Amino acid sequence: MTNPKNTPEPNPADDELALEIADLERRLAAAKAKASLSLTPPPPISTAANHFLLLLSDSALPLGSFAFSSGLESYLAHHKSGHHPRTTHASFTSFLPLSISSYASTTLPFALAAYRNPSTANLVLLDDTLDATIICTVGRRASIAQGRALLSIWERSLAAALPREKADGLRGFAALLKAATTTSGGGGGGGEDDPPAVSAHLAPLFGAICRLSGLSCEQTAYVFMLGHVKALVSAAVRAGMFGPYQAQKTLAGPVVQGLINAVVAREWETPVEMAGQCVPVMDLWFGRHEVLYSRIFNS
Amino acid sequence: MNSPFPKSSSTPGEGLIVARLLSDGATSGLSAITYQYPLKLITPSRPSETRSVLVFLLSYGGGLVGGDVVNLTVDVQAGARLSVVTQGHTKVFKSASPDIITSQTMRVDIAPSAALCLLPDPVQPFEDSVYEQTQIFRLAAGASLCLLDWVTQGRTARGEDWSFVRWEGRNEVWSVGSGEADATGGGRLLMRDAVILDSGHHGNHPQMKSLRESMHAMGVVGTLVLRGPLVKSLGEFFLAEFGALPRLGARDFRSDEAKMKDEEGLSPLQKWRAGRLAMEKESKLLWSAANVRGCVVVKFGAPAVEAARVWIGAMLAREGSILQNFGEHALMCVK
Repeated sequence: MTNPKNTPEPNPADDELALEIADLERRLAAAKAKASLSLTPPPPISTAANHFLLLLSDSALPLGSFAFSSGLESYLAHHKSGHHPRTTHASFTSFLPLSISSYASTTLPFALAAYRNPSTANLVLLDDTLDATIICTVGRRASIAQGRALLSIWERSLAAALPREKADGLRGFAALLKAATTTSGGGGGGGEDDPPAVSAHLAPLFGAICRLSGLSCEQTAYVFMLGHVKALVSAAVRAGMFGPYQAQKTLAGPVVQGLINAVVAREWETPVEMAGQCVPVMDLWFGRHEVLYSRIFNS
Repeated sequence: MNSPFPKSSSTPGEGLIVARLLSDGATSGLSAITYQYPLKLITPSRPSETRSVLVFLLSYGGGLVGGDVVNLTVDVQAGARLSVVTQGHTKVFKSASPDIITSQTMRVDIAPSAALCLLPDPVQPFEDSVYEQTQIFRLAAGASLCLLDWVTQGRTARGEDWSFVRWEGRNEVWSVGSGEADATGGGRLLMRDAVILDSGHHGNHPQMKSLRESMHAMGVVGTLVLRGPLVKSLGEFFLAEFGALPRLGARDFRSDEAKMKDEEGLSPLQKWRAGRLAMEKESKLLWSAANVRGCVVVKFGAPAVEAARVWIGAMLAREGSILQNFGEHALMCVK
């Protein structure tokens, strides 16, 4: 048996040393990790504007949006009844881009205009002008119901969380609405008599509230359109077109994002005088929601 | 040289119609009718009817060439009744480039107890045309308006199917105080009906439908707007007929015999309605009616232009008050 001179005898002291080094290295790494955590404090997740962005985009915002299908239910009924050429079949993927485009061209300019000038005088003018441009009873009902719900949420819940000068931003408008509803019974226009001074449509109030809550104009436009899409998708689920996973997939997918960005860019500078219907058949489906035999939605 | 047409005004494309009540207190006449190329206005020299004064709204060459601008001012004075019609579709020829806009603007003032009946043929925009139409109606208290505005897919014989660059139509109804002298502003907007058919509108995202797809196989879409005492019953008629439409998705469980039996007991109106509903179904015509702040707004669309013409003509004829208040000639474009 040979014992080469250059190979040292195994030494128990060396083993101990190696263990100690390994242990020290481990403790150093742990200390470094701890240090890096405590050295850079986390950025604040919550700014007031972000907080309100999340609130205003929340499906739980009690606007009653779930009660409206924006013509989807009527569209489906018209295609089921064979009232339409068979070349186009009813599907959510055909309806969605038409609905987004139509809602943006008719309504988004009013939300943007209210954001850019949320003074009471301008809000009253925008509200009255929008009331004159919604040419169907069903659409008017839906817009007013959600607008009034939003104004109530603002007054009762959101405004108190903001500084005084913001919180008071809609006082004047709310007072006019109160006066108009007590004198005219709250109708959104009807007979030959003068229509009420204000009706409280959703779009201008949404724009004004986003401004008062500190959202950017881009966020306002995006959340406004996303709210429409969320209501449509939820209506599709309730109408049994697809299930909740498909709903989330649709919402998360690139198509919805792309379409919203496209229409926001398209309507970014459209003055309210130039707003109008770009999908005329949408007016027909919307208006004919009233002649459906059975309905699960109010629009 | 004596022209058979009224004297032309000086500004290109400008036109003016002033209708007034004649001294007999019953018939309407024109106190002014002037126009300039490309606009042409004609009124029959020996009118066959006296219930309203008739004016043909025409254009030289039977259409508007790319870049044509028409500005028509209409003043219907107290108590007068004016009917405006066309002779065939208003053709809009192609523009050499998308920034050349062909436009027609009509500003109308209707005085107390005066009335305008505007029932033209539809606008037919050709391939590559760019058209903007603005019609502003300012109604004093007690004034009446019947307005039809419709647009077609183009020349189907040439394969056109919403092949234009852009078509925009805006109709506004304002209520103004009767004593108002200021023609530039004032009053309250009661109704704005705006339709924007823009081929570029739908092309800015790959998932966006093309203009043709978004028209959903409709070949014509239109709007009828009614306001004021002379068309009150007509407005109520449209709302009542809309309310009487059969419920979509309802099932008819009656046997054929029971149906036959039920039909025997129908009133003349119910029989007429049944026939009209069959026609609506056959021609795939869709319509709706709503009261928008005192204006009755009827929207309709159909795959074929003639089906829409027959339908609107049948509705107006059945109710009868346009004939009664404006005469047969007011209805010539919807027959």
